[in-house]
This record gives sequence, structure tokens and C-alpha cells, in this order.
Amino acid sequence: MENFKETDLKQLRPGLWATVNERYPGSMITKTDFVPLARLKKPLPESRIAFISTAGVQPKNSLPFDTVHPVGDYTFRRVPSRSKPEDLEIHQLKYPTVGAKRDLNVIFPIERLQELTEEKIIGELAPNFFSFIGYNMDALKLEQTLAEDLADAVEAEKPDGALLAPA
Amino acid sequence: MSLNYLNEAVESGDTEQLIRYVRLHFGDGNEKNGRKEIDKAWIEALKLLLDVPATDREFILKTLGEKDAATLAHLFFHLHFYFVGRSGEWIHDGEL
Amino acid sequence: MMGHHFGVPRHKELQRRIILEMLDFLTTATRSGEVKMLPLKWANARQEGKEIERRLELKEV
Repeated sequence: MENFKETDLKQLRPGLWATVNERYPGSMITKTDFVPLARLKKPLPESRIAFISTAGVQPKNSLPFDTVHPVGDYTFRRVPSRSKPEDLEIHQLKYPTVGAKRDLNVIFPIERLQELTEEKIIGELAPNFFSFIGYNMDALKLEQTLAEDLADAVEAEKPDGALLAPA
Repeated sequence: MSLNYLNEAVESGDTEQLIRYVRLHFGDGNEKNGRKEIDKAWIEALKLLLDVPATDREFILKTLGEKDAATLAHLFFHLHFYFVGRSGEWIHDGEL
Repeated sequence: MMGHHFGVPRHKELQRRIILEMLDFLTTATRSGEVKMLPLKWANARQEGKEIERRLELKEV
């Protein structure tokens, strides 16, 4: 199996990358160490799938994400995968939530994933999905704290595969 | 990393870079908007005090006296968005 | 589109298609870091979404 080579590195949207780096200096980092490709070990109809999102989606009445902190919030929330959209809310300042307010599935497609499971296209959903906010200005802390904590929490759900979605 | 950038600015006393960062945060990446947002929050706070309403100064003094500076700094950021929200003019794409 | 990575409100078919593409990629990706671009246009998605909402609103009346 061919793995990613450093020579293949290509910034898909260099203009956007430069703009964000200008507005939030140093916040855009370059990663050159790609993890090996991990394949599903079971067919999808037998697999347990997790979903992880930076959309800042959380159960109502859970501690809101800290959207005001100048350096960001390095916590995550568990979102029970059986939740209904009306049980959830978004705390996130930095992306347009106009569509999500009318239909959460545009950014956190929980109902579509539930339907695909009912139809047996997906074996089952992990008991919890996960969400955090993307405004994190300390990339090292993001990697060493949030990403590590989140990886442990996801692994505890014993998924066979995970879908990761930005906001 | 952005935090390193800010720490370097603190060490070198580059206050312009620090306030620029705050403006960018409040202005969702637009410094000019950030300036307006800071003004908006102060204007809203001022308007609320013009009639000299009774306020809970005991709470204020107790909070300032008892809470650590970092918590108060965090509160300061919360208050900014609180007053911007009260102004009725919300420029941000999402919600607190 | 930022904030709308799974499409537009109430366009279930599009939301579902995007997820299925993601799931398909779990098994078809050939190497780490590979990117698959979908032949979808935001303008078309918005137009279809508006049409769906118009039909749904007509039904609800």
C-alpha cells in the first residue's frame, strides 16, 4: 500500500490558508507526518461507526463551550448518538450556523447516520458522538491535550471506523 | 503556533500585536470590525449607567477582591460579548 | 461551504449522499492523505434546497 509522500504535499486552498494565517497569525500549521492508512476490518454493515465534529454541538444543559476565551477551549462533549436534534445545541462563534439552526444535519448529520443504521448500511453507531470547537490558538495544546483525550474517549467506544467532519 | 506568537509579543512588549489579536478575535478575523465591536460593548455599558441605577457594588467589590486575576480576565471577555449581545447588533456567524 | 459540510437544510438526499461518499472512502481510499473531491456545486445545492423547502412548505399549508 502506497503511503503519502512529503513531495505530494499540496495546499488545496492556498489563498484561504494565507488569509487565515494573516488574520490569526501562526494558527495554521503544516503537518508532514501522515499516519498510515487504516482500513475497515469488517464490512460496513457489521461495523460500529463513530462521528467526530468541530461543530461545537452539545447536549442541551451541558456546560457550553467557551467561545469567548481568546486562546480557545480544549474540551470536548459527548453527544449520545441516539439524540434528536432538538436535544442538542451549538455553541460556536466562528462559522455560519444559519443552516444548522434550521436543520442540524447540515453540519452534524445525526439523523442521517441514524437512518443509515436503521437501513443496515451501517452496522451500528458508537454510543456517543463527539464534538469540540475549532477556535484553538494553541496548536500544541490542541494536539497534546484535546486530541489525546478525545482519541482515548473515542477508542473507549470501540468503533471500527470514525468519520471526522470540520465545521 | 499562535500562542508562541502572542508570548513573543508579550516578551518583546509588542502591545500593538497583542491588541490586534484581541480585535481579530472580537471582529471574527476582521480588525476593523473588532475595533467597532470593542466600542460597541463600552457604549452599551455606558448607556446602562447613565440614569445611575442601583447596582450591586457589594457583589462587584467582593468579586474583585476574592477572585483571581485570570478568572477576572476571563470574565472581562465574557462581558464584552454580553454587552455586544445586548446592543442588538450581532456580527458573529454563530452563537455564544 | 463553511458551516454546511453536509449540504443544505432539509435536503436529506444530498446529506445522505455526502455521508455515503465518506463511508465509501473508508474502503476505497488507497493511501493516507488522499483527497476525494465530489462533483457537487454549492449553487446547485442551494437551488435544490430552496425547491425542497418550497415543496415542504406547500405540503404543510
